[in-house]
Amino acid sequence: MWWGGRGQSFNIAPQKEEPEMGSVQESRMLEPRSRQPSSCLASSCLPGEQILAWAPGVRKGLEPELSGTLICTNLRVTFQPCGWQRNQDTPLSSEYDFALVNIGRLEAVSGLSRVQLLRPGSLLKFIPEEILIHGRDFRLLRVAFEAGGLEPQAFQVTMAIVQARGRSSQAQQYVGITPSKAGQGSGSRKPPIPLMETAEDWETERKKQGARGWRVSTVNERFDVATSLPRYFWVPNRILDSEIRRAFGHFHQGRGPRLSWHQPGGSDLLRCGGFYTASDPNKEDIRAVESMLQAGHSDVVLVDSMDELPSLADVQLAHLRLRALCLPDSSVAEDKWLSALEGTRWLDYVRACLRKASDISVLVTSRVRSVILQERGDRDLNGLLSSLVQLLSAPEARTLFGFQSLVQREWVAAGHPFLTRLGGTGVSEESPVFLLFLDCVWQLLQQFPADFEFSEFFLLALHDSVRVPDTLTFLRNTPWERGKQSGQLNSYTQVCTPGYSQPPAGSSFHPQLSVWDWDLRYSSAQILQFQNPGYDLEHCPDSWLPRTQPSFLVPGPPSSVWLFSRGMLTPLNQLCPWRDSPSLLAVSSRWFPRPAISSESLADQEWGLPSHWGACPLPPGLLLPGYLGPQIRLWRRCYLRGRPEVQTGLSAPVISGLQDELAHLQELLRKWTPRISPEDHSEKRDTNTILNPMEIAGILKGRAGEHLG
Amino acid sequence: MLGKGVVGSGGGTKAPKPSFVSYVRPEEIHTNEKEVTEKEVTLHLLPGEQVLCEASTVLKYVQEDSSQHGVYGRLVCTDFKIAFLGDDESALDNDETQFKNKVIGENDITLHCVDQIYGVFDEKKKTLFGQLKKYPEKLIIHCKDLRVFQFCLRYTKEEEVKRIVSGIIHHTQAPKLLKRLFLFSYATAAQNNTVTDPKNHTVMFDTLKDWCWELERTKGNMKYKAVSVNEGYEVCERLPAYFVVPTPLPEENVQRFQGHGIPIWCWSCHNGSALLKMSALPKEQDDGILQIQKGFLDRIYKTIHRPPYEIVKTEDLSSNFLSLQEIQTAYSKFKQLFLIDNSTEFWDTDIKWFSLLESSSWLDIIRRCLKKAIEITECMEAQNMNVLLLEENASDLCCLISSLVQLMMDPHCRTRIGFQSLIQKEWVMGGHCFLDRCNHLRQNDKEEVPVFLLFLDCVWQLVHQHPPAFEFTETYLTVLSDSLYIPIFSTFFFNSPHQKDTNVGREGHETQSKPLNLLTVWDWSVQFEPKAQTLLKNPLYVEKPKLDKGQRKGMRFKLCLQAQNFSPTESTKERAVMHQRQLSLPLTQSKSSPKRGFFREETDHLIKNLLGKRISKLINSSDELQDNFREFYDSWHSKPTDYHGLLLPHIEGPEIKVWAQRYLRWIPEAQILGGGQVATMSKLLEMMEEVQSLQEKIDEKHHSQQEAPQAEAPCLLRNSARLSSLFPFALLQRHSSKPVLPTSGWKALGDEDDLAKQEDEFMDLGDV
Repeated sequence: MWWGGRGQSFNIAPQKEEPEMGSVQESRMLEPRSRQPSSCLASSCLPGEQILAWAPGVRKGLEPELSGTLICTNLRVTFQPCGWQRNQDTPLSSEYDFALVNIGRLEAVSGLSRVQLLRPGSLLKFIPEEILIHGRDFRLLRVAFEAGGLEPQAFQVTMAIVQARGRSSQAQQYVGITPSKAGQGSGSRKPPIPLMETAEDWETERKKQGARGWRVSTVNERFDVATSLPRYFWVPNRILDSEIRRAFGHFHQGRGPRLSWHQPGGSDLLRCGGFYTASDPNKEDIRAVESMLQAGHSDVVLVDSMDELPSLADVQLAHLRLRALCLPDSSVAEDKWLSALEGTRWLDYVRACLRKASDISVLVTSRVRSVILQERGDRDLNGLLSSLVQLLSAPEARTLFGFQSLVQREWVAAGHPFLTRLGGTGVSEESPVFLLFLDCVWQLLQQFPADFEFSEFFLLALHDSVRVPDTLTFLRNTPWERGKQSGQLNSYTQVCTPGYSQPPAGSSFHPQLSVWDWDLRYSSAQILQFQNPGYDLEHCPDSWLPRTQPSFLVPGPPSSVWLFSRGMLTPLNQLCPWRDSPSLLAVSSRWFPRPAISSESLADQEWGLPSHWGACPLPPGLLLPGYLGPQIRLWRRCYLRGRPEVQTGLSAPVISGLQDELAHLQELLRKWTPRISPEDHSEKRDTNTILNPMEIAGILKGRAGEHLG
Repeated sequence: MLGKGVVGSGGGTKAPKPSFVSYVRPEEIHTNEKEVTEKEVTLHLLPGEQVLCEASTVLKYVQEDSSQHGVYGRLVCTDFKIAFLGDDESALDNDETQFKNKVIGENDITLHCVDQIYGVFDEKKKTLFGQLKKYPEKLIIHCKDLRVFQFCLRYTKEEEVKRIVSGIIHHTQAPKLLKRLFLFSYATAAQNNTVTDPKNHTVMFDTLKDWCWELERTKGNMKYKAVSVNEGYEVCERLPAYFVVPTPLPEENVQRFQGHGIPIWCWSCHNGSALLKMSALPKEQDDGILQIQKGFLDRIYKTIHRPPYEIVKTEDLSSNFLSLQEIQTAYSKFKQLFLIDNSTEFWDTDIKWFSLLESSSWLDIIRRCLKKAIEITECMEAQNMNVLLLEENASDLCCLISSLVQLMMDPHCRTRIGFQSLIQKEWVMGGHCFLDRCNHLRQNDKEEVPVFLLFLDCVWQLVHQHPPAFEFTETYLTVLSDSLYIPIFSTFFFNSPHQKDTNVGREGHETQSKPLNLLTVWDWSVQFEPKAQTLLKNPLYVEKPKLDKGQRKGMRFKLCLQAQNFSPTESTKERAVMHQRQLSLPLTQSKSSPKRGFFREETDHLIKNLLGKRISKLINSSDELQDNFREFYDSWHSKPTDYHGLLLPHIEGPEIKVWAQRYLRWIPEAQILGGGQVATMSKLLEMMEEVQSLQEKIDEKHHSQQEAPQAEAPCLLRNSARLSSLFPFALLQRHSSKPVLPTSGWKALGDEDDLAKQEDEFMDLGDV
């Protein structure tokens, strides 16, 4: 609570100090040049944050124009409107904050003609009248400075931003908010998203999926198998931890095969890194690797994740091009828009991902088998494919809760190097794979508007959260780093009991805040918009009956092993590459346009299997996305946010209009039935908030029946 | 059950269940021949329709040539259509074929709908026309509604092949006389059945009264008058019998150049400014005549330049704007993207989709039309000027632009009746040469320009961008575009009202006993059952609150609950079905809600001026006119939309889209099962029903004395849980549940089930 109204808590040494902070700050005032940084200005700082400069200004471009203060700190640029007090519950603002790493382009403007593009290290050549900050998340912040003696401040704040941005592009390690909210924080999270940092989380999830042949392994509890792997993961029941340790050593970066998802029909989706070809495993190791890969199924399909998908560099390049195209002043003529869009190749990559995920989900759902996603690093495209496959095949993953835990499990816990990929550690290995994933999810949302519980707003919020310096979720590369930072490591090193059912006694660590604590940055009205009003309750997971569970199989030599690559299934002689031939995956695969395939491309027949036909009905919850040129669209509300002229509300206002109407009717009904006791209005809300229509309708219906009928 | 009355008109080869697809190898067909004749289906003929030729044992491919999957049956050519009669009529009884056309079955192609015919000779595809020396083994028919049919003739008797191929080619491609149109034989034969729909209130504009009514509606009657100078088409055959001109214009002026050079009124805006059109005077070489022309025009301009008339801005559509040639080229490129012979072709083009789309420049043409319409709207709305559209015959782009302007400015045109009246007024009575532009008679391919289709595509952009503003749906537009090729409706089969009237015998010299009674396309019950017609109506459309000015202010707070939406066009029952109602809160509020969210309306003019010329891509030359346009356009988009007021489309690059329903509906690859707009739509309908029933309950409560009729909501979208994204068209297309995976093949490799049983116990123990 100490960032609240109490003191001016800027300039604090990072973390750990907790409430005693209040007294420390008074002594340290800001640098002399800032004349009167009002207390409210400073009060909003995060721990470890320092205000570098500030200047009064007017935010333009958005309605309504707001006057306030532009503040540059060592973490972010923030526009604080006059009289706007940071809510204690939402210490960060989704609307007014701009993380320094998020700044894609900075322009200072003076008069109608002078525009200077400010690069890190460049010197401002004039007193700016206005500053334009283009976000890498496609947002645009435009602030006009006030004249009348305040010009030096305008100059200072602009220069401060330039410098701070230059500094922040070197590996800057954010601290994140430590959970000082303690009690209240955990209470506000309704069903907390499992962070998959404890063995219990993994056990609960395993049970939920009904993966009976699998267990939670604690072999990586000290991160000594691999730092990029989570502390716990799922392995087949009958494989010993010692075997796992040995077997994992033969995989790239120690990322051996682990269960990703157990399909209720019985198939397993696994992911693993590439085979470490230089190693020379003995027979037992090979046996262990093989039995892990086949996971007890007689059919094993190895999927080369990198095949047909863009390389990391491709993704980065496409994203850069897309950003350039979507700038408000991009010089593409209207009639050349489409080819320019095509030229970015971003949409091509989106469809490649969807196509591959769709193929894999048919492989997984149509037949009991073990499907293994194999990527050399196992930290990028594997996460993307495995999450997409689950979204397509499992209705649970399409709920708000399910999706968040999916991202937490397949991306955060699985060690996707967020910091590096999102440009937090310099440009070299930047590649927004996660944003590509979000775009894919958005496409699904477009194509199946009634199948997802979350809305476009939610995706947008998630999209905008990846660079915000509040929580550690996206600011670390590995679970190990994340754990180190949050101080859990110490408290955990003693506790390695195999009986993981009990939480470590007296553990002193605080519940870690994560990006899923949306109330840090979003108001409750905004959070309500995360719900998709069009979600069809028929599609919620409960309505699909769990199918009978084929059981786990005898480990033994798999009777068929296939490699799925370039849209073809080819038989493999053996799973592991070490015996005679070099690894298939050692050859780096490039993105190839797939040769022309008919609509039946999903049939195994065309993938190169013996052509005996037999109908195998698809499970009811499976979505088969469209991935043709006309079906893949541009996420305009995200990418074209900076272009004012391209904002159209499509169906959104329609639904919200209906919702308003429902709310109105509700109110009316209340007026007319004054006899309803006030306690009855437990669900009474602010009329401004958007309500779940089904809910209201339900209530209304009930009421109407009650009082009229 | 729908569709039962029409037996056999649709063979249903592309039936929804795989069991209807016959996987008979062609070789086996001969052995099955006896069976074929037994299963044969009767052909459904319209009144007056005659069979011309036919062939049996024709194999209609389900999809692509490589797969050899198909259905065999009879191919029949009548004087109305080409029909394929498969043997699996049972498919018709499916629930999914509810959206069925009563006139045209799934496997019917009207003769006018045929676009190109190709023959395949030894794997080579060639266009077929004229007299053939050699007959193809395969016939590929591209339709104007973008269907593609493939018929294999290899197993058909040679005689029959000759007859049917030459018959089809002759009847679809050879020039025809107007009198030989099926329209007339149908009208003669069906004379007694034709009953004009009493519910159809489309204003036809064929009487003086209709024009006066329109003048009154738009309050144009102060400055403009309806004239009957052309009654009996004595002055001019291009013009309708009645039309409207400025009041002071002497009627004899009309006769002077056969109606050329006369400003003809299209529509009046609420602020008094009007939209006029004028066909240009004939080009003359002779100086003397030119002088006369000049003098004539000067006098005309003088009349309309002085008060009470507003300043006139002349918009010459013949120059500086689209040429018909451009439209024709663009469309023929564009449609090729969707006329897919087989999926291989489809996948080939798929990779370059966007650049191919762009190179057709069809979307760019749409953008230019919309932009022109906005410019004119700006002149009328913001600058209070009269706009005079000038074109050679005032019957192509004039119709297009003036209809678009009215659609944007006049909410009445966005109702179904209003829209139909608009087409009637601007296109049918405006003398758009449907016969030539659609090339119905095959007399001159060069005249074939899809101007009307371009108009519908522009309207689609508007409908797509502002769905709640229109009473009709995109499905309506799609079926309207299909109706262009059905020769039982008179609407789109004449070049001018004069041509129609003379041929029908109303004014003709050869006075028949009684004038033929031709059907109009606006009588939708001819094509669709009432249940299917619900899909033509937008459930989200809200009628304009009928309030007088005094009340309006109070209304913001006072709720209007009574269902005061009485519209003379619908029966009460139908209204209940349509959920036509009024919102209980003012419309303008509805758009304000998204503001709280993330979707910001960034609308500042300064940014554009500032980053200036770099941004304004729409602007070719940054003169004053363009600035006005830009400002008008931007300021409109920065405000919340009033769906019953001025409506402007977005015309930026990302906003102009492909009319997916029309163009992609026959491509099986393009469908998303359980997805697409339909999913939202059905959800919305559900919510609307909810709202409606609540409203009724409140109504009931309000006047407890009267019992409100319970609304039942039989909705087509209701029954099936997961519809295809191409609904309502795709259902007819689906022939197999997409991925069929082999199980038997796997069986041989290892019997898993046995293993599974053995393992049960062991695993359970391990799990605990």
